[in-house]
Order: sequence, then C-alpha cells, then structure tokens
Amino acid sequence: MDIGGIDLVIVITYLVAIPIFGFYFKKYVKTEKDYFLAGKMLPWWVISMSIIGTNIGAYDYMGAAGGAYRFGIAQAHYEWIGAIPAIVLSALLFVPYYWKAGVYTVPEFLGKRYNTAVRVIEALLWGSFLACVLGVFFWASGLMLNEYLGIPVEFSLIITAAIVGIYTITGGLAAVAMTDVVQLLVMFIGGLALTVLGLWTVGGWSGLVEKIVPSHPQHFKLFLPLDNPTYPWLGMIFGLALVLSPAWWCCHQAIIQRTLGARSEWDAKAGMLFAAFPKMLIPVLVVLPGLLALALNPHLAGSDMDKAFPWLIKNLLPTGLAGLVFAAFMAALISSVDSTLNSAATLWTRDIYQRFFVKKASDRHYLKVGRILTFGFVIWAIIFAPLTKEFPGIYVAMQTLLSIFQGPTFAITLLGIYWKRANQWGGLFGLLGGVGISTFLFIALDWSFLYIAWWSFVGALVITIIVSLLTKPDPIEKLEGLVYGLVIKEKSIQEALKKRAERR
Amino acid sequence: MYEWLKSIPLVWGTIIAVAGFAAMIIWAWFRPKSYIFKDAPDQRWWRDLRIWTSVLLALQIIIYLSF
Repeated sequence: MDIGGIDLVIVITYLVAIPIFGFYFKKYVKTEKDYFLAGKMLPWWVISMSIIGTNIGAYDYMGAAGGAYRFGIAQAHYEWIGAIPAIVLSALLFVPYYWKAGVYTVPEFLGKRYNTAVRVIEALLWGSFLACVLGVFFWASGLMLNEYLGIPVEFSLIITAAIVGIYTITGGLAAVAMTDVVQLLVMFIGGLALTVLGLWTVGGWSGLVEKIVPSHPQHFKLFLPLDNPTYPWLGMIFGLALVLSPAWWCCHQAIIQRTLGARSEWDAKAGMLFAAFPKMLIPVLVVLPGLLALALNPHLAGSDMDKAFPWLIKNLLPTGLAGLVFAAFMAALISSVDSTLNSAATLWTRDIYQRFFVKKASDRHYLKVGRILTFGFVIWAIIFAPLTKEFPGIYVAMQTLLSIFQGPTFAITLLGIYWKRANQWGGLFGLLGGVGISTFLFIALDWSFLYIAWWSFVGALVITIIVSLLTKPDPIEKLEGLVYGLVIKEKSIQEALKKRAERR
Repeated sequence: MYEWLKSIPLVWGTIIAVAGFAAMIIWAWFRPKSYIFKDAPDQRWWRDLRIWTSVLLALQIIIYLSF
C-alpha cells in the first residue's frame, strides 16, 4: 500500500485529531474515580463501542484474515460462538455484581470476595500480562508506520507514544472510551470499504462461493472435524465457548473496566450487552477479507497465508481508499493500546500501590500516581517494544500465559458470585490448583490451549468446591452485595442508589 | 476414546450450538423484570435487555443454521 497525496492527508488528519479530541476530556478529571472510572458517568453506548474498540486489535485483522484464508469461515467462531453467549452471560450475570461492589478492578472484587492473596496473584498475573502486551502493541504500531509511511521504527514508537500518551495520561478512562468510539467508527468505515470493494471484484457473495468451494469444500462450514489442528469442533464448543470466551468477557480487566465506569447498573449491563451487536459484524471486517484474498489469489502458501490481508490491500485498493484503510488499521491498534495502558495503570495503582505501599492518601495523590504510572508504562512500552523483534514468539507466549490462568480465574469468579459456600481457602487453592493443572498439561502433554482451558477450569472448579466444603465458611456479612441472593442491606448504600436514580 | 469422538457427526456441533443459544434465550426471559430494569431511567420496551438478548441469539441461531 503506497500512501501519498490524499491518503496521506487522511492519515495525518486522523493521527492529529485523535489526541486533540482525547485531550479535551482532561478538564473532567479531578479525582481518582474520574481518572480510572470516568467519574462513573459513562452511558451504555460509549461503553459498548469502547469495549469492541478495545477487543479488536490490528493483530485480529492480520491473524483472522490469515486463518480464514487457511480454514475458511470457521475463523468466525471467535467472533460468534466464542463471544456472543459470553457477552450475554457477562452482561446479565457478572457485570451487575462488579458494578454494585464499587470496585475499580476484577482482582479487587476477587480480593473482597476471597482474600488478599487471591487479589495479589490475580493483579500480578493481569498486571504483568497487560504490561507485556503493551510492548507488543507498540512494536506493531511502529512497524506499520515504518512500512506504510516510511518513518524509522524508533521514531514511529515515539509517535505512537505521543499520540496515545497525550490523552491517556491526562484524560484517563473518559478520554480512552470517547476516543474508542471514534476509532470504532473509523475501523468500520475503512474495513467495510475494503470488503465491499473486494466483494464487487469477485462478483458478489455467489461469485465468492463459486470461486472457493470447488477447491476448498470445507471453507464455508463453521464446524470442522476433530483432526483439524486449529478449529476442532469439540474444542470450539468446550474450550472456546464454555471457558476461554466467558473468561475473557467476564474477567478481563480492560473489558470490564468500561462497565465499572457506567453511570448506572442498567447502563453497565446494557453497555456490555450492546457490544455484541458490533461484535457480530466483525467477521465482515476481518474474516471475509481472508476469503476474498483466497478467491483472488489462491497461491499464497505457508506463512504467506498470514499476509492475505496486506496482499488484498496492496492489490485491490485504489488511491483514496488506502489512507482510509490504513487509518482503520491504526484505529484498531490505538484503541487497544490506550485501553491496555489505562487498565495496566489502574491495576498497579489500586491493587499493588494502594494496597501495599500507601494505603490512606488523598484522592489527588492516587490521581497523581495513576498518571505517573501511565507515563511509566508508556516509557516501558517504548523500551520493551524492540524486544518483540528479538523474541518473535513473545506474543504467542503471552497468549499461552493467558490461557493458563483464564480457566481457573473464570472458575473462582463464577463460584464466587453464584455459590455463597465458596470461601477464601477454596478460592485460593482453586486458583493455584487450576494454574498448576494447566501448566502441567501444557508442559507434559503439549495439548491445544482449547483443551487445556477446559480441564484447568474443571480442575479449579472441583478444587474450590472440595476445599470450601472442608474448611470454615466465610461470615455472611463479608459476602453481602458480592454473591447472588445476598443483597446489600446497608441503608446508606440503598439510599445513595435511590437518590442517583431520582436525579436522572 | 478419541477415535470414538471422531466418529460423532459434525452436525452435532450445530445441534449443540443452536440448542445452547435457544436455552440462553429462555434463561434470559426467566430473569425478573426488576433485575433487568434496575436503575433504568424508564421501563420502555426497547430498554428490556431480554429483548436485546433474544435478538442477538436469534441472529446467532440463523448464522449457525446457515453455515
């Protein structure tokens, strides 16, 4: 893709407008709550668009199109059965409890529900994961600016840091969420332009099917046989739909944090639920291009299949659209970077700094710490990003790490909210035991991460139940407001909720 | 064990998925109205999250039956 003329104007306008727009929200940030939870003022439509902006990264464009080129429409499982039911569960079962608990992070909720050890383990796992992911995202951004605009990678990293840093450091979650709304629109406009043009070129949907089915009869089947290495149908249902996907949508800090900033419990639930609508359309942007590339050029082989998306851009787009699609790419990347940055700072401020270093300081102190940590993570990402080049498997390693602790995290969160007999020792040993099981399966049996997730979830569930039944139950006062069926009886909280409802 | 699993027809994937989506729609309608509308500014029909859920999952059923 050659960027020049009008394309360059579009790209530069986008790259300049986003930080200016985000910086505007600085004026609303006065307290720690304003910074990390947008002052609990986010409406449902901002939450839903920000969630999808956070969820879809530039890697999805490349990886999903490559996957679709190899295996077909089965790649869309990750956006459909691997997302929609879990979003419904999250919206109607988990989000109301997080929101009512008044927490800033998922580990903070688990700390309230179980004990400090569970909170710290979860915070360290998520905090480390998010910090490493930042480096990878920065590197991807640097490569894109280098490849398409010819800017040296090191300088590209600094440009990315400046764009994202300006509004994330100053405006916090409000700036991140509002810019995500714009970024999602840019992603959809750019992505749809490419897909529509591609479909028109191959002769519409029927032309696409006619070109692919004779040589790849399985490419329009959602469920593939068990010997498929990437999308075995049982793994898709038990590993992806029942464990990994709910774990992602119900427990991922960057996803959940938006709902914690909702202006009401209804907005929190509606924001999460409505995110499923744009999510359902994502295959049109990331999977269909892979099939279009296959129809137009069936000769890509090996690792070149992962270049299906760039091939399509290079060979299909006329001048004028290239800038728009590049902006969509950058929007996907930046909307994930800003959310990761904000969530990493929230975790480290609330669950580590505030819990262990300075427990009772002023609101402004924690606001300042949050901003310093966000700045620190920007610097960290610039330094860490080039390491991605030295260790090409680093992104895969991080995804593996995620699958190792996601199953157990989901198990203890599920039991924590829906079984009042689950106690602090059950939660702690369930988490540790589940992580132990997945680590063992990963090292000793080298299973697919889909099956590892399932068995580590089951293992954590069983351990939590057994240990909880063998040890003393937690006092009922500790569980109020955190567990299904145990509503908060405290009058002041009920009054505050009532007043807020009346104000609206 | 694995060989036995391999003999299960692929159509069972579709059956399980569609049954799961349908079960979730039914489950959503068992959520009390007070829970669904808690904190909502009003109780207009379009704020009913059970309707949102039904539309979402019905679309999923159509997609999974089509492919």
